[in-house]
Formats: sequence, C-alpha cells, structure tokens
Amino acid sequence: MRVPLNWLRDYVDFDLSVEELVELFSLRSQEVDGVERLGVLEGEVVVGEVVEFGQHPNADRLNVAKVDLGGQEVQIVAGAPNPYPGARVPVVLPGSTLADGRKLKKAKLRGLESYGMMMSERELGISNDHGGILLLEGDYEVGRPVSDYFPAGETVLELDVNPNRPDLWGMIGVARELAAILKTAFRVPEPRFEPTGEPTDDYTLRVEAEDLCPRYDLRRVSGIRPAGERAPLEMRRRVHAAGMRPVNAIVDATNYVMLETGQPIHAFDAREVRGGIVVRRAHPGEKMTLLDGTTRQLDEEMLVIADQERGLVIAGVMGAEDAEVGDETSDVLIEVATFAGRNIMETSQRLGLRTDASGRFERGLDPNMVSYAMDRVVGLLAEHPGGQPAPATLSHYPEPARPWEVPLRLSRAELLLGMPVEEDEAAERLELLGCEVRQEDGRLFATVPTFRRDLEREADLIEEVGRLVGLENVPERLPGVPLPGGLSPAQRKLRRLRHLLADLGLAEAVTYPFGPDRWNRDLALQNGDAGEEPLKLRNPLSAEATNLRTTLLPGLLDAAARNRSFGARGGAVFEVGHVFESSEQPEGMREYALRFRLAGETGLDAEVPTDLLTGVTEKGKVAGLLAGTIYPPGWNVPAFAAGFFEAKGIVERLVPGAIFEPRPRPFLHPGRAAAVLSGGVEAGWVGELHPDAVEKFGLEGWPVAAFELDLEVTEPDPAPRFAPFYNVPPVSRDLAVVVGEEVRVGDMLEVVSSLGSPILADVRVFDVYEGSQVPTGKKSVALNFTFRAEETLNDAVVKEDLDRISERLREVFDAEVRSS
Amino acid sequence: MCYHSALMMAVDRIEELREEALSAVASVGSTSDLESVRVRYLGWNNCSAELTEIKKGIRDLSPEERREVGGAANKATKEIETALAERREESVAVAEREKRLSSEAVDVTLPGVPYPKGSLHPSLRVIDEVVDFFVGLGYRVAEGPEVETDYYNFTALNIPPGHPARGMQDTFFLDEGLVLRTHTSPVQIRTMLSQEPPVYVVCPGRTYRRDSDPTHTPMFNQIEGLAVDKGLTLGHLKGTLAAMARHVFGEDVSLRLRPSYFQFTEPSVEMDVSCFVCGGSDPNCKVCRGAGWIEMGGAGMVDPAVLEEVDYDPEEYTGFAFGFGPDRMAMVKYGVPDLRLFFEGDLRFLQQF
Repeated sequence: MRVPLNWLRDYVDFDLSVEELVELFSLRSQEVDGVERLGVLEGEVVVGEVVEFGQHPNADRLNVAKVDLGGQEVQIVAGAPNPYPGARVPVVLPGSTLADGRKLKKAKLRGLESYGMMMSERELGISNDHGGILLLEGDYEVGRPVSDYFPAGETVLELDVNPNRPDLWGMIGVARELAAILKTAFRVPEPRFEPTGEPTDDYTLRVEAEDLCPRYDLRRVSGIRPAGERAPLEMRRRVHAAGMRPVNAIVDATNYVMLETGQPIHAFDAREVRGGIVVRRAHPGEKMTLLDGTTRQLDEEMLVIADQERGLVIAGVMGAEDAEVGDETSDVLIEVATFAGRNIMETSQRLGLRTDASGRFERGLDPNMVSYAMDRVVGLLAEHPGGQPAPATLSHYPEPARPWEVPLRLSRAELLLGMPVEEDEAAERLELLGCEVRQEDGRLFATVPTFRRDLEREADLIEEVGRLVGLENVPERLPGVPLPGGLSPAQRKLRRLRHLLADLGLAEAVTYPFGPDRWNRDLALQNGDAGEEPLKLRNPLSAEATNLRTTLLPGLLDAAARNRSFGARGGAVFEVGHVFESSEQPEGMREYALRFRLAGETGLDAEVPTDLLTGVTEKGKVAGLLAGTIYPPGWNVPAFAAGFFEAKGIVERLVPGAIFEPRPRPFLHPGRAAAVLSGGVEAGWVGELHPDAVEKFGLEGWPVAAFELDLEVTEPDPAPRFAPFYNVPPVSRDLAVVVGEEVRVGDMLEVVSSLGSPILADVRVFDVYEGSQVPTGKKSVALNFTFRAEETLNDAVVKEDLDRISERLREVFDAEVRSS
Repeated sequence: MCYHSALMMAVDRIEELREEALSAVASVGSTSDLESVRVRYLGWNNCSAELTEIKKGIRDLSPEERREVGGAANKATKEIETALAERREESVAVAEREKRLSSEAVDVTLPGVPYPKGSLHPSLRVIDEVVDFFVGLGYRVAEGPEVETDYYNFTALNIPPGHPARGMQDTFFLDEGLVLRTHTSPVQIRTMLSQEPPVYVVCPGRTYRRDSDPTHTPMFNQIEGLAVDKGLTLGHLKGTLAAMARHVFGEDVSLRLRPSYFQFTEPSVEMDVSCFVCGGSDPNCKVCRGAGWIEMGGAGMVDPAVLEEVDYDPEEYTGFAFGFGPDRMAMVKYGVPDLRLFFEGDLRFLQQF
C-alpha cells in the first residue's frame, strides 16, 4: 500500500519526521518497504503568470517566456510550447531540489538567462504527464506559493501490508492504525450530497450467485457533465501518488474512494446497461473482451457482473469494454460490492490477471464498508463533475455481518507476551483499533468491528496489545529446557562424513535437485527403469528445472562443466542431499493417498507406509565427483588427477570393509565401474564416467570419476575397538607372482586371508606389472606381507607360512612365483 | 733420600703435565688449537715443552731412575698423543658433518607439500553453528522429507485450501496433494504428532519456492525451531533468539522484534539483529546498508489452532517457533553479495569456505 503522507494528514494529525514514521510503522504495525518522493523535495514553487511567450532566438526547439511571479518578472527558457500569455503556471525557483535529484540553478540556455523552471505535471508529481507545462485553471493567485493550493512535493511510504490486514489497503485504515499507535484521534470525511438524480430502480438488480456475493449495492448518478472531464487536480495528484493512473473524473473518483477505504468500486455507463444488473456465474464457454484489450474465456466457477444480455465485468477483477465509462458518459451505475475472497483469488490465478481490485477482494473485505464507500463516491461525483446521485441505493445484503465479542484474559496476555500488561492500557489500545471494550473481573470483552476479521480469538487480541505497547518491552529470558537434547547418531555421523570429505580435499556443493530431461538422457538412464523415472514438477520455473533428480550425479557434472568453462583444470566436489524416486501406487490406493496428502489421514489401514501414499521415496545420498586435474604438479609432488582408484580410495574411507564388485551402469565406463557392497547389500557405486556421458556433460578430454552412496551405510568414523599388540619387531617379506591378466587381485587377497594365518598381520599390494619380462596375457603382482606374533618369529616359521600362501595361490590362480 | 725425592719430583711432574695436557686437549675448540697443545707438551724443538725436556734429560739419569722416569714419560706421551689423535679425528668428523649439513640446506621459502584442502558449504557451516547452539541448550534436531503433502505443508499449519497465505508462498506442485516443501515447518508438525510435550527441536533443511531473481533462488535453506512447554512466553523466544544471534554474530549484537504475520503463529514477529559490522553507525555500511539492522527471519508464539491440530492443549501448553535463512545469514556473515552463488557449485566460491 502506497501511503502519500500529505493525504494521510487529512485523517490524522502527526508531528513526526519521515524517519520516525517509518520506524514507528515498522516496530508497531507493518514493515515499510520503501519511501518514495515525488515533485519538489525542498525549495519554492510559486504561481506565475506568463506575460510573453515566444521562440528562443538561438534554438529552434526552445521557447522563452517572461513570467510574472507577483511583483517580479523573470525570464524562463522552456522546452514545452503550450504556455501562452495570460496562462498561470507553476514556477519552481532556483535553489530548489526536485525528487529526481535535480537542483535548480539560475542558468544560461543558449545565451539566455533562465530563472527557475515552469513545471509539468510529472515534475510536480501530479501524474506521469510530461507533454507540456501544467496550466493552472481556476483561482490561482499570482505570486502565491503553489502549496497554498496543493502540495508541490509528496512523500510516499510503501507499506508491506500483511495479508490478514485488508483494512490497511485503504488510507482510512492506515490513519486508524497510526492513531492507535500514537494514541490520538483520527477523522473520516463525511459525504454530503443532494440525492436529486434519476432513480436507480429504472434498473433491476438480481444476485443469482449469492454464495459468491454476500453484498451488492448499486446506485445511479446521473446528470454528469460529459466530455471526459478530468478529476480535480488534487484528486489526480493523490491517485497518482498512491500508484494509480489518473483516467477521467468518474474513474478517478472510484479509484480515489478505493484507495481511501480499501473497497473497490466499479462504474457502468448506465445507458449501455440493458435492463439491469445480474450477478451470476459465467456461462460455459462465455468470453469477454476486457479493458486491457485481451479476450478471456471464462469458466463456470467465475463470477460475472452482467446485464440481461451479456457479461460486463469479471467480478472483482476487471471490466469489459462494453458499458465501460467513456468520454461521453453522463449517467452511471455505481457498483459497490463484496465478493467471496477465495473465489476472486482463484479466478485471478486462473486468468493470470491481478488488479488493484482483485488484490483487495481476495483478502476478504468488510461488507459493512460498502455503505460508506457508496456514499463517499457518489458524494465526490456530485462535487465533480456535477453528478446527481439517485435518491436510493439498490442493495442486496441478505445476511448482514455483525460485530462479534472476543474475551481477553490479562493473565493469558501476560503469559504469551512475557511482560506485564495493564488492563486499562490494553482496553485503550483495543478501543483505538475500533473495538468496543467492556472490562469485567480482570477480563476484557472486545466487540470487534467487522473490518477487523483477523481478530477472532484471544491470541489475536493479545498480538494487537503486544505490538502497540511495543515489543521492545518484552524482556529476554531463556527457558530451562528439561531434556537432554543433542544430535542423533545418524546426525553425528553425517557431520563427520562431511568433515572427512572436506579433509580429503573435496569442496562441498549444494545444487538444485531439479533439472532438465537432458539429465537422465545424457546419463543414458532409461526412463521406466526401476527408480529412474523422474518425478516431475507441475509448474517448473523452466524446462531446465522440471525433473526431480534420481541421482546427485548430474548436478555435480553440470557444476564441473561450469567450472571448466571458467578456466578450471579440474576439481573435486561432493554433495549430501536427497534423491527422489516415484514408487508405484497399488490399485485402489488413490483415494487413501489423497486423503493422506490433503487431510493428513492415513486411511482405514494405519499400516500403509506413507511412501505408498505419497508415491515418492526420498533417500539421503552422498556423492563425490573427481574431474580433470585436481591438483597440478607441485615442485616436489606429482599432479593428482581423477581416476577410478582415486574415487575408490574415498569410498574405502567412507565405507570401511566395503566389497567392490564389477557392475556396469549405463553412465559408467564398462570396465571401470563397481558396485559398493556393504554387509552384502548394494549401497552405491563408484567408477569412471563413460566417455559418452563425459562428452555430453561438456567434459570431453577430462578423466572423470565419481561415486554415490546411501548415507545410511557410510561409516566415516567406525567405533574403535582395541586389538593387542606386541613389542616384538615384525617380519616383512615380499612375494611376486605371475598370474593370468584376468585374475583379480581382490580375489587373491581374499584367498590369502582365508588361509587364516595367525601370524599374518597385513598384506599390501605394492606393484602390478604387465609388459616385457612378463609373458603375454600374464601380469606380475607383488605383495608385501607383514608377519607378527607374541614372540620373535624365526625364519622357518615365516617361510612355512609364506610357502603355504604361494602354494595356495598356485592352486587357485595358477600363480607362478617370480621372487620371494 | 735426596735421590728419592728428586726422582719422585720428576715423576710427579710428569703426572701433572699429563693431566694438564689431557685437559687442554679436551677443552680445545679447533684443529689449530689442538696443534698448539701438541707443540706445547710434546714439541721436540720446543725448549719450553717440559715433558720433552724431561725426556731429553733421561739419559743423564741412573738406570733405575731412567726406567722409572722414562716409563712415566712414555706413558704420558702416549696418552697425550692418543687423546690428540682422537680429538683430531673427532674434529674432522664434526667439520665434515657441518659441511654436509650446510650442503643440505633447503630454500625454506619453497612451498610445503600441498595436503588437500577441501571446504564446507557456507550455508551448512551456518546451519552447523546454529544447530550446535541449540543442541547446547538441550534441543534435538528433527528432519523431514522435501516432497511434502499439502496437509503438512499448509493445512496443519493453519493455512487451509484457498487461504490467501498460500498465495504468499509460490509453491512447486507435484502430483495432486504433493508439493516441494515451502518451509521446514511441516517438520514441526510431524515432530509434534510423534511425541508429547515438552518439545524442543530445530529443523534445518532445504526448502523450495517458485521464485528466481537476483535475491531469490528457487531452493534455499531454512532452519526453524520449535519449543512447546508449560509457561513459554514471547520473552523466552526473544531471549533464545538473542542468545543465538550473539553465538553466530558476536557478543555485541542485539535483537529487536517487529510485528508480523504468519498463519501458524500468534503473535507473530520479525526479528532483526543489530549490524555486527557497524552497529548502525555507518550510513554506507555494506552489510546493513545503513539501516543498522539486519533482517534475520520470522517467529512467534505457536498459534493455538496449530497446537489443537496436533492434539496439544493450548490452555496447558504454549510454545514458540522461529525460522530463518542460513543462506542470508552466511551472506552477511561472510560478505557474499549474491545468493545465487550458493547453489552453482562454482569452485571459486566453494573453496573460500
């Protein structure tokens, strides 16, 4: 809500700087989003009379005027050609500052002195009209300050009105609020007019859709001077300052009263209304061409204001071209009505059309505001442009809204607010807000006016008292928490996991969980495969952000590509986050699913897992991506680049005791992909990316390796368990064997460990070699064994064990010992 | 007697000289000093070398004396020579080692071995900090799904279908009745439904709104808290949040509350933290833009309707709830100018944390 402060002063007196006002509103009521200034900020604007006006001798496009400022004649150079001798114009004097930051000085323009400036409507903040100098029509005395007639500058507070306060969408409501804050009075203009016009009931009024229209009032104003007269300057100035475009005298008056009361008003050209007004739901397929020039197709849930032949307005949203007020209009029907807020909101959403009116209606307006708004608007139309209000209003208001009583216990207020609350203070504040308050036995009974529908319950009143007394008076206390609290084991584990990955050199990323169709396609994931059919957003921001991820990988790949495009030579990132899989719902589950989703009911069978009811399985995952050169070579260390074993080494830290089984995935290199098994269960994968995927994600030429694991199985910091050790030096032996190249070293290690040697403490693979000196089709594997026992081992014992190992490797893998 | 005493004098003197020479050998610091010790005690042409003089005089002695004195002198000479040789060897070794060590000197200004340095996401750093604070107070951490039902995300929070407050939150919709959660508040509902009061939890997590401009991203982090117990007041909320702000932004910051509106709290407030950089003294402050206050988030006393929805008695229990944006907190804390940087996976950004 834009609040022009000069306008606000009509209703409430205040002596505060703009800064103080902003702070007061922010701390007691609504946040102030901004402060806008219009017109002349400081300085002087006076009424001048043009004495001479002609072309500038040295410039085709400039004019020069002699202007009488009341006892002083000055020369002013102007661009606009519209002043003429005898015209009265606003002149801003040198030394003044305009809202756009310009500071006026005496100037020479193309050789001629110019003293100040004649002003356009835009420069004065009256409208956006910058087509010429504002010519003052009426009784403007030469030499007097313009501010004797209308403010030459305006300060507008932009209030960020909370949705529970539709009353603050009008100046009167804002004035009442300020008065309640300042504990002062406010006043409302009293409409006055002679109801001498043509009768309203030449027209009929029929409300068919009563559920969507609690109140509909119609009053005729006839005898208006036509020819598109403009509204009075001050009304136009206020409408403009409040953020609307001045149109003509009739429309401006309806907008003015809307801005004043919060109640939208519509005016029909009475001559175009056939028979009378019908408030009904739209017909199937009904179309309407609106004032904004668009043609909209309506549906049967939308409310229409029609005459007996056609729709004239989408109720509460926007009027059609038919029966719109125009330059020739002299006879109008004024509509002031209340519509069901939710219906207006839905209509406005479905049409994608929000207006000043719909924004107010959708919050739910007070039907009792209608009478005042009607009187006020017909009163203004009577003042200008000479309308004659009808003697009576046609009103459809079958169930008038009545004020209600809400009790307030002071003890409860003190409990919720945590500060003492004086009974009289609370009563006074509530009265200032418009309540009638009765005090009885330490309780207040507030009768709440119908324009404060947000005040339904005790807690609502407590909030009002608390904020008006001032939240700065609430003391700071700490509760004594009677619980131990703390992180769960899983949460502690996740912390360690993230720290471990960071310590291993990976950067933690947080990426969006929605992406394009391309993601799964480029990973060669077949839609329809179990768990790979992505869930789709119904209203994505763009086609690039439609599908919920089924793996963390594509977001990290996109990030790598992005880093590459900015010149990175590689990098290592990880992310912890959710992936989303759709789970198919069994037949007949739909009804229960919807009841669960919409009403929180688990249905008849409480055993149904909620995954089935939502149709979504969410899993916590951790993924890492190593791409390109992660560290360039240093003067004393080699480069560190992405590769299968670099990624696997990380997985080994995250899942101690994991088993790695070759298992292809469509997006992994078929020969460099493994499933990660933990406790016999597949818990993730690790591998180098398939060259196709690498290329499709824009990483061609880079080695790329990645892993993804179920969070549950990770164990970054397994619980330690003491194992005894002996102060006897260990014995170290190497053994190199030649085996077929297809033999897996992991299997060899398994066989070694299955021998169960009591003295074998550790086995380490220290070389794997294929090439010259090893027969084709074979490889040499060099192992280092550490033997350790309680007593010093003698060579014979060690040799016996080593022989047993060699023998077993020969049996199982046909391994030939090269050296030992 | 006379003979005897002259003999004894020579032998004693040799003994004295031997001790003197050995201690001189032991105490010299350099090879040249060692040579002068040798010359002083054993130099053949040095007439001031007393031991040499004694040896030269041996031939004038009687055979018995000669044996006696000669033996002592030879023994002393041998010992001194041995000591000299050992010393000489030792000092050569020292010199050699010194030479070797000096040849092994490194350029200490060359960089050390680059152990890998990773980083933790700035928003999650802030979340961890806030969580640690609340865990210290005795709170637990509650989590929930990101795909949420309409009921938990809205209706249970006193935002029924058609309520204008739904329009405040641009929601991503999935299948009917499913949304990407627009706040972490549904976790509070799930928590209350699963336990009896007292409740003290914080709920960090990702949330989603259909909004994208320089100051809004369609995904952002939130951390909410909920306390339900007997006798909780707005004062407890204020004290808790003030203590949290001091934990995250430093001891000097203060907190202020402003009235606000949320459907699930009543009264509702916004919380501002005084600028931890300028304290409001700098009109050009980059952090608070001269306002002196930084908007931190929303809070309030849990609406009685919400307590009733989860079968808590609002007459018996009161509660407070709060929520703020760790992304924005990280922006002010670390001086990040653009929210969008948080979610782009840009290493130039991530590696700064």
